[in-house]
Amino acid sequence: MYKQLFGAALLESSPGAENYFTLEQIADYVSTDSYIDGVDFNYWSSKLPQYNKTYKNNLIDLKAQGLPTSKSEQYNFANLRKLYNLEILDAPDVQYDMERFSYLADKYKTIVLNDSRLITTNDLGKKAPFNIQILDSIHVNKNRMSEYIQLLNQEENLSKLTYALTPFPNVIVFPSGSKDTFKKTPIDIKYLNSTEDPVLDCNTTIFDIQYNAKVQLNETVKTSAGQMNYSMYILRENAELTINRTSRDSGGWNIFDSVFICHPGSKLTVNFTNTGSQYTQENFYIKSSRKTEVSINGKNNIFRGNNYHQYVHQKSDDSDNYSSIDIKNVGKEFASTSFIGRYDVGALSVNFDGSMNNENLMLDKNVKMHTRPILDIHTKEIKCQHGCTVSNVNDEHMYYLQTKGLNKTQATDLLIESFLC
Amino acid sequence: MLKLENYAIKDVVEGINVTFDKGRTYVIMGANGVGKSTLLHSIMGKPSLEVTGSAKFLDQELTEMEVDERANMGMFIGFQAPTSIPGLSNFQFIKQVKKLGVTEIKGNLDHFKDISSKLKLPDDWDKRNLNTDASGGEKKKNELIQMLMMDTKLAMLDEPDSGLDVDGIKSLTTELNDWRTNDNTLIVVTHYDKLIEGLNPDAIFVLKKDHMVGGDKTLADKIFAEGFDSV
Repeated sequence: MYKQLFGAALLESSPGAENYFTLEQIADYVSTDSYIDGVDFNYWSSKLPQYNKTYKNNLIDLKAQGLPTSKSEQYNFANLRKLYNLEILDAPDVQYDMERFSYLADKYKTIVLNDSRLITTNDLGKKAPFNIQILDSIHVNKNRMSEYIQLLNQEENLSKLTYALTPFPNVIVFPSGSKDTFKKTPIDIKYLNSTEDPVLDCNTTIFDIQYNAKVQLNETVKTSAGQMNYSMYILRENAELTINRTSRDSGGWNIFDSVFICHPGSKLTVNFTNTGSQYTQENFYIKSSRKTEVSINGKNNIFRGNNYHQYVHQKSDDSDNYSSIDIKNVGKEFASTSFIGRYDVGALSVNFDGSMNNENLMLDKNVKMHTRPILDIHTKEIKCQHGCTVSNVNDEHMYYLQTKGLNKTQATDLLIESFLC
Repeated sequence: MLKLENYAIKDVVEGINVTFDKGRTYVIMGANGVGKSTLLHSIMGKPSLEVTGSAKFLDQELTEMEVDERANMGMFIGFQAPTSIPGLSNFQFIKQVKKLGVTEIKGNLDHFKDISSKLKLPDDWDKRNLNTDASGGEKKKNELIQMLMMDTKLAMLDEPDSGLDVDGIKSLTTELNDWRTNDNTLIVVTHYDKLIEGLNPDAIFVLKKDHMVGGDKTLADKIFAEGFDSV
């Protein structure tokens, strides 16, 4: 979206020439005083003053903080040098292939998110009782959007950059009256690029699961170019949200920050799989109120040479919260993975019941895998456990499977399957 | 079926010359630590074992073959302590090993359940994880199921009786005798007189450090009476 808003002004690009930039250059550009001051003059500043205020504050914070370094806890093991050296093509020369999304015409209950564009199937766009409501740059509701935009005040600095490059966030509301409609017939959410040119697409999206609503989202993240996604999921009182997220490497790279705000009695389940990519960073930030249930289950099979880095941070500030984090990674040749998990359990968070597990299987000596659990507990009345392992393929297992007639490749595949099971 | 000539396993045994014929049952005995299990695993091609000499199965030289190639020729080894693999069910394993197509699954599952029922394994044995949370005896029975369901021509079983109760030994003996035909060969490492009696082997071999001593069933009787030093 920033490409449409600021076009050729970005980094003095030359007409007709292919210009490449890095993430650092883009961050520097949106942190300049002239860019920040320019926000006051854009189209939405008079129509949605709150948008203007929050967005501008975000830019000011980004300018003050800069991009993260490996000193930041969540990026200790990440390969930020690689991320910051990725070449990003200036957008004006790119031909967008919107035909890619034409298949939506034959689908139901599907939403494509593409560089701040929100494209839905016809059944979701209609006004109907208890249908989902969409607030975007077309369907504007001044008061409601102002409320949502205020929530985008995050501390994590890569999501700040994502938001900085997505001036107009999209909001998808699942009303209470929908009850379990969207659990019985889940919504497909697709994060897609519209080109294979190495551009950068950004999405900032808010999903509001209103009280008592039960929702399942089947998310597909397919990155043929660069993608930065910042999704906030609000689970109101007694809401239930299940996310089944599949991220596939299609030649691009991906930063995905997911923020979950769990109100009392809510229940969150995230099941995800990932193949990694030339660079993937998947972060979960969970804020738990009271009597919440959180279950994060990852089964990642990281392909040859791919990067996959993850940070999972749950903050529990009130009583009776349950949490289970269970993430398994398999790394093939030259893959690089990391997991950092953190529980912050506040003084009032009595009866917190948490379990954090991360198991890693290295299929080759040249695989790099890091794991670090962090438990910061400020109350006594809790149950908390963690277990993190990194192991190689067991030679005895391989031999056993081979004695039954499986060759090395088949045996390895079977061991991966059973490990991730 | 299987012929070993000047066969040696580095630091374990040497000078082994023996032939195992088709349509026969053999028992291998030997003192603890002499290398009976290692011998079976070396024949199967365990990568960590260094062997010299010749080993031929169905007239084909084995020494340069991969483990899975040997298995696919019809060689089977039943482990003394079968490996546990969580996350992989017993029948899923059979499905993968036999590379079953969709139309073959039901018939094979019925066959699996039939054998597991005869062996008095739990009803949900097909769904249980491979050798995980199973007793020693159950693991041995599982090896037997695999042997019976695969296209096995040469079965080498390493102490298949250990961990089995009295009924289990009876079932094992019955299944092995039923399986044995004129077209296959059974080699069992055991010290258990009841199993030897039940199998009624064609020959007994006693493994020594640098040779094998062969004989009929009376050889086993002599060992039970006088010990391994007597032969």
